[in-house]
Amino acid sequence: MAKSFSEILLELARKDERICGVSCDCWGFLAPLAKEFPLRSIEVGIAEQNLIGVAAGLALRGKIPFAIGMNPFVTMRCFEQIRTDLGYGARNVKVVGGYGGGIMYAGWGCTHHAVEEVALMRLIPTMTVLMPADAYETEQAVRAAAATEGPFFISLAGGVLHGARPESERSFAVGKAVMLRDGHAATVIAVGYTVAEAIKAGDMLAAKGIHVRVLNMHTVKPIDQDAILRAARETPLLITLEEHTVVGGLGGAVAEVLADAGAGIPLKRLGIQDVFAVMSGSRQDFRDRLGICAEAVVKEVLKSVSQH
Amino acid sequence: MDAERNELIRGLEEKARRIRVYVVRIAGMSDCHTGGSMSIAEVLAALYFHVMKVDPKNPKWEGRDYFILSKGHCVPGLDAALAMRGFFPEEMLTTHLERDSFITGHACARLTPGIDASTGSLGHGLSIGVGAALGVRMDKAPNRVFVLLGDGELQEGSNWEAAMAAGHHGLDHLVAIVDRNWYQTGQTEKMMRLEPLADKWKAFGWAVRTIGGHNMAEVLATLEAVPFEAGRPSAIIAHTVKGKGVKSIETHHMARFDGVKLAAALKELGEPVAETTHG
Repeated sequence: MAKSFSEILLELARKDERICGVSCDCWGFLAPLAKEFPLRSIEVGIAEQNLIGVAAGLALRGKIPFAIGMNPFVTMRCFEQIRTDLGYGARNVKVVGGYGGGIMYAGWGCTHHAVEEVALMRLIPTMTVLMPADAYETEQAVRAAAATEGPFFISLAGGVLHGARPESERSFAVGKAVMLRDGHAATVIAVGYTVAEAIKAGDMLAAKGIHVRVLNMHTVKPIDQDAILRAARETPLLITLEEHTVVGGLGGAVAEVLADAGAGIPLKRLGIQDVFAVMSGSRQDFRDRLGICAEAVVKEVLKSVSQH
Repeated sequence: MDAERNELIRGLEEKARRIRVYVVRIAGMSDCHTGGSMSIAEVLAALYFHVMKVDPKNPKWEGRDYFILSKGHCVPGLDAALAMRGFFPEEMLTTHLERDSFITGHACARLTPGIDASTGSLGHGLSIGVGAALGVRMDKAPNRVFVLLGDGELQEGSNWEAAMAAGHHGLDHLVAIVDRNWYQTGQTEKMMRLEPLADKWKAFGWAVRTIGGHNMAEVLATLEAVPFEAGRPSAIIAHTVKGKGVKSIETHHMARFDGVKLAAALKELGEPVAETTHG
C-alpha cells in the first residue's frame, strides 16, 4: 500500500532534520508532521506569495521545505516568487500542488482550474516538473524531490485519482517516461491525471485490433526526449493528452522536442484548446466536452489508421 | 566609556561617508540608484561594522546574521559596505555593470560574495526574512535576520502577508528596517499614502521604533536594542533623505555624474578630488 504525501513527508523528516513543511491553508497535509515536529511545520495562511518567500528563506537557512498549496493558486498567484526566489534564487524548495490539479474542480469554475500550471512551471530554468499518475509515483516523486538539490514542482492531482499499478509494472526515475503499453498505430502521451484515460483508450483500440503505445510522461521537465523521438520514429502519429491548455503544456513540450529534432510527424494535442472552460458539470462532463478523454484519443487514432 | 562610544560612532559615521563616496563613484561611471543607496548608508555602516555577526572570509558561515536587501536596486550601497568589510576588494566596486563583473545593477546572491538573497523585484525580501527566521528558530540558534525595505516598496501587498506571518509567529529575531526617505519615482505619500506607517506595523504585531536614519548614535543604539520586545518582531522606521550627502541629487531616484559634477559631489562628501578622472 503506497503512503500518502503526509506520511512520506513525516518519514523523510524523521531521517533528515532539514525537511520541513510550509502550508498555505493546507494544514491537513502537514498535520502528521506538525504532531511530531511542531517547529518544522509552518502555516502561513491564505498567502501564496508569502508561502514561497518563506520557503525560499528556509532554504537560505539550509532547510528543505515542502511548500504546499492548491494547484491553481500555488502556481499562478506566486508565479514571480517561484520564478525569482526559487528559480533565479536557486533555492532547494519543493512546491507541491496539493489539490485542484487540472480541471478537478470542473463546474466549480475557472478560478479553480489549474490548466496553466505545467506551462508556468516549465518556463522556469532548473525547475523539475513532476506529474505523478498514481500513489506509487507520488511517493517516488516526493522522495526524489527531497533527495535532489533544486526547485521542484509536484502535482498530487494524479495520485489522488488513480490507484496504484500492479507492483510488477512499477518503476520510476525522474526524466524517464514509463511505457504502459506498446503498439505501432500511434503513441499516446499522458501525464498524471490523464494516464488512466490513455490506458482506457489503449484498451478500447486493442479491442478493435489496433495497438498503440502509451507513454506516462510523469516528468514534464526535464522531458524524456529519447522516448518522444523513439515514438516519432516507430509510430506515425503522436497524441498528447492533458487537462491543461495545449499552449505550453505537455503538448507544447512534445511539439518543441519534435521541432527541434526535425522529426516532422503528425502531432495531435488533446487538451484545452486555448479557451476558458466556462460551463457546468462534473469532471467527466468537462473531459467529454473538451475532448480530453479516451474516446477523443480513439477517434484520432482511427482517423489516422484510415488514412494509411 | 563615553569617549569610547563617541569614537565608535565617529568611526561608523566615516564608514557611512565612504559608502556614499563609493555610490557616487559608481554613479560617475554608469547610471546608479543613488537616492536609495545613499539614504541607507548609516544603517549599512552600523550593521556591517558593528551590529551584525558576519565572516567576510566565509560569507555563508552558518553563525552569521542574515541581511536581506529587499530594495535590491540599492545594491551599490550594500556592495560598498561589503567591499569595505572585506568580502571582496574595493577596486571591484568601480566595475559596476561591466562585462564579467559581479557588481550588478540589482542584488545578486549568485554573483556577489556576501549577498544573502537576489532581489530587485520589490516586495520579496520580508517573506524571505520570515523564512530565514523560522529556519533559525527550528535550529534553536541565535542568528538574527535583518531586512532592509524601501518605503515605496511597502505598497506591494506581499510585504503585509509577510508582516502578518512574522507577528503571528512571534519572530523576535527578525528585524525590518524601513528606509523612510519619502520618495519613490515621485513623492510616496502623493503616489500612495503609507501613513500612519508605525501604526500599520504595530497592528501586525511588531514592536516599532521611529528614528532619524542619519543620526548614527540613534541608529546604532536602536539596532543594538533589538528585539525591542520578547516574542515580537522589531520594525525600525528610519527617517532619511533620498540621495543624502549630495544636495543636487537629493530626492532623485537615479543619477549619473560626468567628470565635473563627480568632482563636485565627491568634494561635497569630503573626499579629495585630485584622484578623480575626467571624461
